[in-house]
Amino acid sequence: MKIGLEVHVALPTRTKLFCACSTEETEEPNENVCPTCMGFPGSKPVLNREAVRIAKSIAFVLGCKIREKISFVRKVYFYPDLPKNFQISQLDASIGYDGEVSIKTKKIRIRRVQIEEDPAKILREKGMTLLDFNRSGVPLVEIVTEPDITSEQELRMFMHELRSILYYQGVDIDREVKADLNISLGKERVEVKNVTGIKNLIDAARYEIDRQKRIIDQGREPIKETRFYDEDEKITKSAREKEADEEYGYIYETDLTDYDTSGLVIDRGIIPSKEAKELSEKYGFDEQVLDELISLDRDAYRLIVSAAGRYDPQIIVSVVEQLKKFGEQSISEAAFEALLGVGKEVSLTREMIDKAKKGESIETSVNKENIEEKVRKYMQDNKALFEKARKDTKVQNFIIGEISRKYRFNPKQVSEIIKNMNLFK
Amino acid sequence: MEEEGYIADFNGIEKPGDYFHRLRDEIQNYNEKFHAFNFIPEKLEEGFPFSVKDNICVKGVETTASSRILSGYLPPFDATVVRRVKEKGFSFIGKTNMDEFGFGSFGINTDISARNPFDEDRVAGGSSSGAAVATALIKYHIAIAESTGGSISNPASFCGVVGFTPTYGAVSRYGLIDYANSLDKIGLMARSVKDIEFVFDIMKGKDEHDSTSVDRKIENKKSRKITVIDEMISGVDEDIRKSFDSLLGKLEAQGYKISHTSLKEIGISGPVYYIISMAEASTNLAKFSGFKYGLKVEDFSLDYNTFFTNARDAFGEEAKRRIILGTFVRAASVRARYYQKALSLRALLIRKMREILKDSYILSPTMPIKAPKIKDVEKLTPVQNYMLDILTIPPNLCGFPHISFPYDYIDGLPIGAQVITDHFNDKALFSFVEDWENNFTYKFKYNLGEI
Repeated sequence: MKIGLEVHVALPTRTKLFCACSTEETEEPNENVCPTCMGFPGSKPVLNREAVRIAKSIAFVLGCKIREKISFVRKVYFYPDLPKNFQISQLDASIGYDGEVSIKTKKIRIRRVQIEEDPAKILREKGMTLLDFNRSGVPLVEIVTEPDITSEQELRMFMHELRSILYYQGVDIDREVKADLNISLGKERVEVKNVTGIKNLIDAARYEIDRQKRIIDQGREPIKETRFYDEDEKITKSAREKEADEEYGYIYETDLTDYDTSGLVIDRGIIPSKEAKELSEKYGFDEQVLDELISLDRDAYRLIVSAAGRYDPQIIVSVVEQLKKFGEQSISEAAFEALLGVGKEVSLTREMIDKAKKGESIETSVNKENIEEKVRKYMQDNKALFEKARKDTKVQNFIIGEISRKYRFNPKQVSEIIKNMNLFK
Repeated sequence: MEEEGYIADFNGIEKPGDYFHRLRDEIQNYNEKFHAFNFIPEKLEEGFPFSVKDNICVKGVETTASSRILSGYLPPFDATVVRRVKEKGFSFIGKTNMDEFGFGSFGINTDISARNPFDEDRVAGGSSSGAAVATALIKYHIAIAESTGGSISNPASFCGVVGFTPTYGAVSRYGLIDYANSLDKIGLMARSVKDIEFVFDIMKGKDEHDSTSVDRKIENKKSRKITVIDEMISGVDEDIRKSFDSLLGKLEAQGYKISHTSLKEIGISGPVYYIISMAEASTNLAKFSGFKYGLKVEDFSLDYNTFFTNARDAFGEEAKRRIILGTFVRAASVRARYYQKALSLRALLIRKMREILKDSYILSPTMPIKAPKIKDVEKLTPVQNYMLDILTIPPNLCGFPHISFPYDYIDGLPIGAQVITDHFNDKALFSFVEDWENNFTYKFKYNLGEI
């Protein structure tokens, strides 16, 4: 089985790829439009530098070689959502090429990362076809893989990994991603076009794998064709088009000059799964737990890195997990540090988090019971030592030190609590 | 011949209060006969008159590129050249007739062909036919025109005016309805090169709306050498050849050193030009689909393919021919053989011509024939038609600046010569033609707006 993907991702720029129109979503259709993104005669495209910079960053984290000189092509096809009836895209001079994404079982090769413009949105309502050009000209990157994926499970892992990598580039592709899926179990390639969202993508793949398997089991061959995924029925359907190789009549887009990308400073970004692995090896985190924690959470990653090596990894993970439950992982590193001090078996409360955020001491009020409990436990285990301590202040200090160290309590607080508990009398 | 150009003259003369009103009426009257304009505004502003080829956008003014498919298109913006010229106080007097989308050499691919002011039975040339006719009719006027493969030189030559095509990239194309993006250049026509220089200085320079426009310094590296390329004079009509030889004699007498050379690559420039220009044109024309602007197909019950096909029936025959040929040369199976090959041959021709241009001008007749009769060109096959562009194509294909200037009159018809120089040396052309104008007086049959 061979699966290859073409994944389209919208880039988080303020303005469109070839004009100054805003990319922001608006209630009103056709509000963020101008002669260029409407394809009016006389208009010209002007390349958005920031879009190229982000695309270069993405190509970089996907392990691609980066082209210093890029150019654009016109991909010609006729469709109402395409204002010029050609899409400005890239072909042999794309921003990135020859990359790879590692999943547990293997490396998935990336053939190409290219920049292109999004068409308009088509709405079909009450028998009418409506066009909204707000989306027309929004910058996209298309990520094209080699057909290296060989199971639904690998597809799942790849999409998880890709989503995580792109998340750290400022894009969450969960629902918005659009992909074309090439699946062949037999000799011929079947393309499932225009699947939206990761869940649908995996459902479509599963359906298509089963469908082709059934055909082969019956001793036949799946035919080369283009199919669409029906989200409601959860099946793929043949597009019933005459099968020929797609003819896009590519030529250079000579309204845009060759563009030198070498001056664009990229976000070095991270590959979260690689970070999880490295942090685990270095500081003893559970790799899988850490990976899940940071793969789609930049703040969790920030907090973990700030404390790694200085606190017990289990405490770090526990506090971050609890903060996430409160939706509070964006707290400052100082506040995080204060919360780490309360120890791993403590449940955080809203009050503790608020105090930590305000920089107030959280040990006294909230932690008292916990410390009392730990002291009692320690006394149970070390009865003889407590006997000695009644007469010897050195032994008293030793006990306070031991408890504080063991549970990462504040020694002053422990001392006060023991005094109040009258344990040395 | 005026010493300082028509713009300086015009500004120095006291004009009657109703001058612009009368000018408008006069232009309107003569347009009935010569069809230079597709559109003339109701009222003219004060200022030196300028016209705009109908494939260049003027805000709120119908801009059709002489195509039915664009009828009713009111651009929501001014082309950069139009904006810059307006800002300097020039007065817009109309949109000039042309071959549909610039596809043609005689100005006949339009609803009503413009007529040659020297002989109404003859063509004005093309594709900027109306621009040349307007320049030959109106005394105080400058025409903003556009050339892809010779659309300025050709009609300038046939109508006896000066036509300047700048270096590719020197003038912004923002607001131009594209024919072939890597070849289109917005230029000027006038009765004197001095006016052209003045307005070129206003139009030129980097424009943030056109990525291919540049801010390079425009040089004036004069040369006393002229090179004549054998392949550019071998096919011209006998009378033109003779007249051109006498031009060379005059220039030699003025101190230019004339040399002859062979450049066999000139022979491939025609096919290379038509492959590239048609490939690009066929993509540019893809956008015209009959529902957002221009011609609107009202029947929305049709399926998209039928709807679209109906809309595109509005293209003229030559436009359809170029869409079909251009689409063919882009096809995956032949792209390497035609389109890609044409691109590398263009690069080769640029190198070869630059070797000559580094220390001399290239001079040739502008057209191999005098302005032909309209009834005769209608009989030409498309290929015969294309072959007549053979002298204007080389500089256009390579983006070299060039000027066609009138240098003789045969049987009462003007003929032009074309001088070419290296990229971004446009000002040397102005010096060259200014020298010529100091020794030669252009003839005009009409002087509309004379004061």
